[in-house]
Amino acid sequence: MNHRQGISRRAALRGLGVSVALPLLEAMLPTRASGAAAPPARLAFVYAPNGKHMPAWTPARLGVDYDLPPTLEPLRAVKDDVLVLSRLSLPKANGNGDGPGDHARAMATFLTGCQIRKTDGADIRAGISVDQAAAAVVGRSTRFASLEVGCEGGRDGGTCDHGYSCAYQTNLSWRSPSQPVAKEVNPRLVFERLFGSPFSGGRDAEARQARDRRSVLDFVAGDVNELNGLLGAGDRRKLDEYLTGLREVERRIQASQPVAEVGQSRLTRPTGVPQDFAEHARLMGDLVALAFQADLTRVATFALGNDGSNRSFREVGVSEGHHDLSHHGGDPEKQAKLRRINRFHVEQFAHLLGRLKATKEGGGTLLDNCLVVYGSGIRDGDRHDHDDLPVLLAGRGGGKVRPGRHVRYSGGTPLTNLYLALLDCVGVESVAFGDSTGKLPSLGG
Amino acid sequence: MKWWLLLGMMLYVMAVGGCGARPTSILMDRLVVEDPSEEPDGMAATGEGSVPAFAETVAPLLNRYCLDCHSSEKARGDVVLDSLAIDSEGKEVVTWQRVAQVLRFGAMPPVGKPRPTPAERDAWNAWLDATVFRATCATPARVTLRRLNRTHYNRTVQDLTGLDLRPADEFPADDVGYGFDHVGDVLSVPPVLAERYLAAAERVVNQVFQDPAARRRLLEPPAEDFVPYGARGLLPVRDEPRKVLRLSAADGPATLDATQRDLDRAGLVLRVFADRAYRRPVRYDELTRLLRFVEESQKAGEGTEPGLKLALQAVLASPHFLFFVERDDNPMRSASTSPLNDWELATRLSYFLWGSMPDETLFRLAALGTLHQPRTLRAQVRRLLADPRSRALAQDFAGQWLGTRGLQGLAPDPARFPDFDEPLRRAMLTETELFFDAVVREDRSVREFLDADWTYLNERLARHYGIPGVRGEEFRRVSLADTQRGGLLTQASVLSITSNPTRTSPVKRGRWILENLLGDPVPTPPPGADNLKFGVTPAGSTLRQRLERHRADPACASCHARLDPLGFGLENFDALGAWRTHDDDTRIDAAGVWPDGSTFDGPAGLRAYLKSRGDDFDRCLTEKLLTYALGRGLTLTDRCAVDRLVRQLARGGHRFATLAEAIVTSDPFLKRPSQQEEP
Repeated sequence: MNHRQGISRRAALRGLGVSVALPLLEAMLPTRASGAAAPPARLAFVYAPNGKHMPAWTPARLGVDYDLPPTLEPLRAVKDDVLVLSRLSLPKANGNGDGPGDHARAMATFLTGCQIRKTDGADIRAGISVDQAAAAVVGRSTRFASLEVGCEGGRDGGTCDHGYSCAYQTNLSWRSPSQPVAKEVNPRLVFERLFGSPFSGGRDAEARQARDRRSVLDFVAGDVNELNGLLGAGDRRKLDEYLTGLREVERRIQASQPVAEVGQSRLTRPTGVPQDFAEHARLMGDLVALAFQADLTRVATFALGNDGSNRSFREVGVSEGHHDLSHHGGDPEKQAKLRRINRFHVEQFAHLLGRLKATKEGGGTLLDNCLVVYGSGIRDGDRHDHDDLPVLLAGRGGGKVRPGRHVRYSGGTPLTNLYLALLDCVGVESVAFGDSTGKLPSLGG
Repeated sequence: MKWWLLLGMMLYVMAVGGCGARPTSILMDRLVVEDPSEEPDGMAATGEGSVPAFAETVAPLLNRYCLDCHSSEKARGDVVLDSLAIDSEGKEVVTWQRVAQVLRFGAMPPVGKPRPTPAERDAWNAWLDATVFRATCATPARVTLRRLNRTHYNRTVQDLTGLDLRPADEFPADDVGYGFDHVGDVLSVPPVLAERYLAAAERVVNQVFQDPAARRRLLEPPAEDFVPYGARGLLPVRDEPRKVLRLSAADGPATLDATQRDLDRAGLVLRVFADRAYRRPVRYDELTRLLRFVEESQKAGEGTEPGLKLALQAVLASPHFLFFVERDDNPMRSASTSPLNDWELATRLSYFLWGSMPDETLFRLAALGTLHQPRTLRAQVRRLLADPRSRALAQDFAGQWLGTRGLQGLAPDPARFPDFDEPLRRAMLTETELFFDAVVREDRSVREFLDADWTYLNERLARHYGIPGVRGEEFRRVSLADTQRGGLLTQASVLSITSNPTRTSPVKRGRWILENLLGDPVPTPPPGADNLKFGVTPAGSTLRQRLERHRADPACASCHARLDPLGFGLENFDALGAWRTHDDDTRIDAAGVWPDGSTFDGPAGLRAYLKSRGDDFDRCLTEKLLTYALGRGLTLTDRCAVDRLVRQLARGGHRFATLAEAIVTSDPFLKRPSQQEEP
């Protein structure tokens, strides 16, 4: 089954018009000859803002026999694929002398484990996020090093959280301590980025276009390099960001990498941003699943919202703003509405897991080869605390993780210990990550 | 030219005893003032005797009002004031800024503790201003290399090509710092943006070639070159003698073969396009590189056009187009600041007032080398403001300053606000844009932002306001005399974005007024302020009663005593800014008590209060507009410049153009520090 040379991804897409409905062609699978190499491990992080109403989140029982409280109920179909991890903390999301700003810190610390610098703009500084740390290594073998998506875009000006630049509150992924990676919120643009716009030229046109693009890239890279020599270090950093992006495009043009084909897909080309939140979130989840399935990338982050988001959720009968409600002040009515939002978010996560599980890969499912973290950087939105966070881990990471359990760690265990373990699972050896104190034990059972 | 007030002065207030009254002693090493006469601003900022000496004035106040809680021993809120170095550059200046802020705001000491008298507070602030905050006024801070943001990109492409293509709508969102989305420090270039730049360049060039008018404009540019001789560098000498780069008829012989003629023509097209795209004269060596695309496609037998298109794409993806490049022409220059050249100045000016590239007039003035002359600059400011393109200020500056861009995401509860629809959302935004734009273009007093008795309405919005006699979708100027409204504050846009989906938020409205109109950033609540200290609010209590509970805790009361009354004064406007007398069944109480005990009632009373604080508003607007003009956050080094701008604004009768002129002719706008290598 190694005759994949004549079948490019484009060739397969061509002529299909607006819907991706591709037959699974074993011929198009990546180099692994039947069963020789294990499928690659994929890593994803799903973020839900404003914490959870914890009494409806934490299972009462530990171990394999764990129960599903109301907020986790949507996970019933995938319960055996989910690890509930209790008592993990983000100590660096506390003020630690910097005063308020817990929403900005929750978001920017969630994947970095770093104390972010309190500034409205000058010298913003977080840390490299775990997804980017992984992408720097495993991203080399796919078309896209990583994928960043979400359901809520950036801020349109104005002030954000207590003296923190809005950049902290709208970005999960940080490529370097000073470079946040903006997320894409429009499913159509994610789709087009992953699968290309419809392309009608023949192979010659395709080759010529690649050649042309390369020549433009060369020119621009020449300009950047020349300019770099004339600027100070702070300015050079901005140009270097651009140069890095250009190099990635170049690599993509050069390596016409084989791409695993996706199975029969119900996904049609999205037309824009759906009004309905569930539809929006599910589309984004579908796209992440599809990107994993086709091995276009092995790392993704997916923010269901920005922390501090005051979105209302009419889809589940909540017309108050989420942030407003999260300061429930003990009001049972507000808490009930919060639970509805929390559960709604978990439903979107369950949808993503369902998609991954429904996709066959190797001898099992795509989910078996994934590690998908779900969580918030705040525990209770009314208290703005960062201990005992709501955290889930789904998938088996190719057998390295044994899910279907509820594990409770000792209080104050850094969330970054989990990340250190996950980096290990995807083959990125590290001795420390953020404020980690060691690899989180007990994931393998 | 620079002076330093060196405060190598370390102060220690040493707690000696244990309990009861605190015996303290102050050790002061030395206070060195070096040559204050050289202060460039010409202001006697720190003349002898005008600086209240620390030991006499400030130390006793610290002792009396602060150190009970903020000493090394107790360190409430991690604030320690008894061993704080007086240093205007180190990071401790941040703590001093916080001290100044809470003092100004009256947030500290908390209610119930002894508080400084107004005279004591003034003396204290005078000391902070004169010593800690004024020391480094000489050198403006550096603007980090900025890229075009999304709105810049869209407008610039439109001005370059004549086509409204809006390619940047598909770029990822620009991050926001200091309230605006064009601050270099937070504008990064994620990989997806690099991809989109390349794709946009392709798309824009293809669209231009498909549109007959745009194509003609591009391919038949005026041959005249007004760029001064030498500004493009040296004419290149090429290996092949025939392939001489000819940019105008004067550059070479008239008889040439078709290939050479096409190449010449492409050179002309590229020169004119790149001049405008790079916002400066493109150099010959750059042109030569661009022309290689054309030569390649000619060689390959594909003709001129494919190569020309690639060269144009390369221009649009070049950092010289995407970034506001400002560099030293003479790297040997040793002065700490250097003036921008006229091309860079034209760019700063047009992106400030138009949010887009300079036009022909600005380019010509830059080529003549006269743009930087103050009289020319002021005339250009007036011209740009009077041009319809200055609408960008209403959209980009006002939309972010006031937060009205947030209207796009406004989602009021349909059960409570069944009338809310898209026409109303659009009308709210349009009113504020037209109102702001009128103050700018008619060069009115900026104080009208606080209390103008006119606005712009269409039928939909007039109905929302209960103002009769306005028919149709067209907006027109409407008098607000004899209504409850006037100024920005009572516009539906502002009242809506400061509300929650189901109800008003007096706290948000109060904070909005303090931060956006009065320049009093609200101090951050003490840690734990969000905790449910008050327990569950009794059922059936009104919003006002719930908020009154802020007063129950002294830690909250000192700030909320200033925040909440401002919001209460607007309670007659519901969460969408419509007038109301009742909230559900409760009669609205829009009376407020200021911290000093004086009272006011409703929007008129609030407006009178805001007018009484006109000077604070001037300073607040000045700081916001300067931040926007520079694309960076203001620092202590800008303080003298801001002081001067505020004075100029007052002298000019508070007219908007006066402020814009003053900003454009100020040092922070005209100059930048020379390259400094970062460690």
